Amino acid sequence: MIPQVDSHYCANCLENMPSSEARLKKNRCSSCFDCPSCFHTLSTRATLAQPRPAPEAGGGDAKVENKQPKKMYYLSCFNCRWTSRDVGIPDQPVASGGWPERSAPHAARVSQLLEHYRAVAQQEKQDKLERERKKFAIRGKYITLTDKTGLTGAVARSIAGLGDAGAGAALAGFAPAVPKEDVEGLPEDAFTKEVNLKQITSMPQRLASPEWQPVSVSRLHPLAKLLSVKRSQRCRACDHNLTKPEYNPGSIKFKIELLAYYHVPEVKIISCEMIKPGAKSTLLLKLANPTGHEMALQLLPAAPPPPPPHGETEAATEDKDDSIEKSLDKSLKLDKEPRWPHVEPPAILTRVTPPAVTLTLAPRDDAAEYDDDARHEPSHIILWRKSNKLALRLELTTDPAAVEGSPARTALTVEYSYRNTVPQSITASQNRDHTLYTTVYLDLGTVGSAGL
Amino acid sequence: MAHNIKILPGATVCEDCTLEGDITIGGGTVIHPRVTIIAEGGPIIIAEYCIIEEYSTIIHKKSDKQEDPPKPLFIGAHNVFEVGCRLESPCGHVGESNVFECKCFVGVNVKIGSGCVIGAACHLSAPQTLVDNTVVWGSEHHVREALEKQPSQLLQLDFLSKVMPNYHRLRKPNIHKRQPSSRQSLDSSPKP
Amino acid sequence: MELQDTYYNKSEYVETASGNKVSRQTVLCGSQNIVLHGKVIVQSDAIIRGDLANVKTGRFCIISKGSVIRPPFKKFSKGVAFFPLQMGDHVFVGENAVVNAAVVGSYVYIGKNVVIGRRCVLKDCCMIEDNSVLPAETVVPSFARYSGSPARFVTNLPEAMPDLMTEFTKSYYQHFLPTTVS
Repeated sequence: MIPQVDSHYCANCLENMPSSEARLKKNRCSSCFDCPSCFHTLSTRATLAQPRPAPEAGGGDAKVENKQPKKMYYLSCFNCRWTSRDVGIPDQPVASGGWPERSAPHAARVSQLLEHYRAVAQQEKQDKLERERKKFAIRGKYITLTDKTGLTGAVARSIAGLGDAGAGAALAGFAPAVPKEDVEGLPEDAFTKEVNLKQITSMPQRLASPEWQPVSVSRLHPLAKLLSVKRSQRCRACDHNLTKPEYNPGSIKFKIELLAYYHVPEVKIISCEMIKPGAKSTLLLKLANPTGHEMALQLLPAAPPPPPPHGETEAATEDKDDSIEKSLDKSLKLDKEPRWPHVEPPAILTRVTPPAVTLTLAPRDDAAEYDDDARHEPSHIILWRKSNKLALRLELTTDPAAVEGSPARTALTVEYSYRNTVPQSITASQNRDHTLYTTVYLDLGTVGSAGL
Repeated sequence: MAHNIKILPGATVCEDCTLEGDITIGGGTVIHPRVTIIAEGGPIIIAEYCIIEEYSTIIHKKSDKQEDPPKPLFIGAHNVFEVGCRLESPCGHVGESNVFECKCFVGVNVKIGSGCVIGAACHLSAPQTLVDNTVVWGSEHHVREALEKQPSQLLQLDFLSKVMPNYHRLRKPNIHKRQPSSRQSLDSSPKP
Repeated sequence: MELQDTYYNKSEYVETASGNKVSRQTVLCGSQNIVLHGKVIVQSDAIIRGDLANVKTGRFCIISKGSVIRPPFKKFSKGVAFFPLQMGDHVFVGENAVVNAAVVGSYVYIGKNVVIGRRCVLKDCCMIEDNSVLPAETVVPSFARYSGSPARFVTNLPEAMPDLMTEFTKSYYQHFLPTTVS
């Protein structure tokens, strides 16, 4: 999967920002601010400020025009109680925006440097182009002007460089930084003066505003809020869109939503006996079919899946299945990680004895949820069946070498039939039914002591 | 333990709360349901216009080196105890206009000035003194100083004392005379 | 992991016609202002402050033991008001959590001991981890997972969050069974 930025929005005011504007504003929201002290979002507070009656003006008319108190706004943090008044930012007459913007002390120099390096880059590009052209020219059968006049490459380059007036000027007008020998010494009381920690900013506070890096608390200014993005995902192999959210930041709907959750059978642990080294224990598993088609399932011992018959596309789904499957196992704790690093499979000391039967799962039926009768089957493997779900009893054998207290894990491969419902080109119509494999790792708590 | 609960007129005290020992509740104070106030080590005096929300616990703990007669735990005016906070201080004194946010814990030997904010889920257990206008926040217990005092909750109190009697069984005020608690609240106001 | 059955004492819980299961040990203040939209579980010692303002929940909400649902308070220039508190469908509120939010969307997971500050807005499909503190007036966007004190964005949630929450709350409801008298 390749995550992609779909759209920028502000997490606080939930407003979209076009990506070009976002780049211009350094990916920050123009109306929301973070607290410079604790980085929590600032809220706008309103106060009724009595406009200051001018003391010199005649008492009579001042009373008349100041009857109406004016609404003034300031920013305040509900977490650490920082307010924009703390650092002497005047209250604003409008609720949003209008906060004074500070220009960074080194802004001019930074933009100059930026300009300079852009010019350098441009020049280099030009040079490269020139060289390429030259190479080509030499290899070509026509004699060029440079060849005729015998100009060397270096000279030609310098001519070209001078000819480019814009870049040349930018390069010429640049003053490189000059190293300074004498640095101002520390003030006398640097080591003797008592430090008031409440007055000095912390490192995270300074780093949050890299342009200013305020030393004292009284220099902290509100920080514009960083934007968040909506994420769309694409398959790494076939470049197909897997998910694409709706544009509206508040919406949780998707324009495209191809999730493994709707296609891959779900495996959940119901219960498991204590895992003991060298002993056998029982594991109850629940399998569910989320698709609208009947599904044939078979459990196999964990092994590298047979090479997929259709090449890349399937390998890609395989990858994805794995990660989602794992997260589904944990869905109870809602402890999901969106990105699973590709780790080596953990050492498996507990093995499942898979039953050699093919299980059939009925299609998902939303209406079936209302009839509650779970059918008990006499089979020793299947505990019960309920619409598209069934419970299994499996036997586990643990290696005697398993260390007590270490995490108990087991793995099994699920082979399942899958009907592809995504309409494809006519040529692909004959392979609508696939057999897919997924390896599931089950975390069964920790290994108990053998004596128990 | 002698139960001696004095509720001054104007206080709103829900019946569904645990009050044990010698407790004085000042006028205008609102005590929400499921509050626990236990005065086992000495009397607790709560001044005027405090808000004590659900599941808050205020305990005056018994200690070995107790003076005789025991010193009261005095809680100044305009304090707000939010949901689930716990105050165990026997140090006899909590200033005015403090905010104890949700689920905070203030242990023994913590002295609290005025205008302080103890952030949500903060645990103060080491012996310390919070000077006026201190704000404690976050899991790392950052400390900073606020410039302004915490705004008073008089409007909320007004609303609560009007609405709560419609929905809750209340304990009736049982003292109709001005008690010395009002004088003490003046004594405890912060020094300029 | 499939949910284990949670058993409750039948005499402790009241089941309404719409399938709400409410413990008798709760404090529902101003119950005429509380609307539970069906199949909601309110466990013992939870407090819902309907006396302050209206509280509405959607379907399949789980309000665990000792949690406090409390409409938030706001001061205006002209006076004060408690905001009504709205909660969407399939919301889980963990044990001893305090919810002072203005709006809680659908498919929201609030962990144990969480404090949601006043007038917070939790959009649909978000998750607040256990023991987090969300300061007042925070907006939690969709598919965000917040953690810590003060809570900050940690990571994105999977796109299947609505389905996962639906299944979680539904199976919780199905596994919330009365103890059978043997």
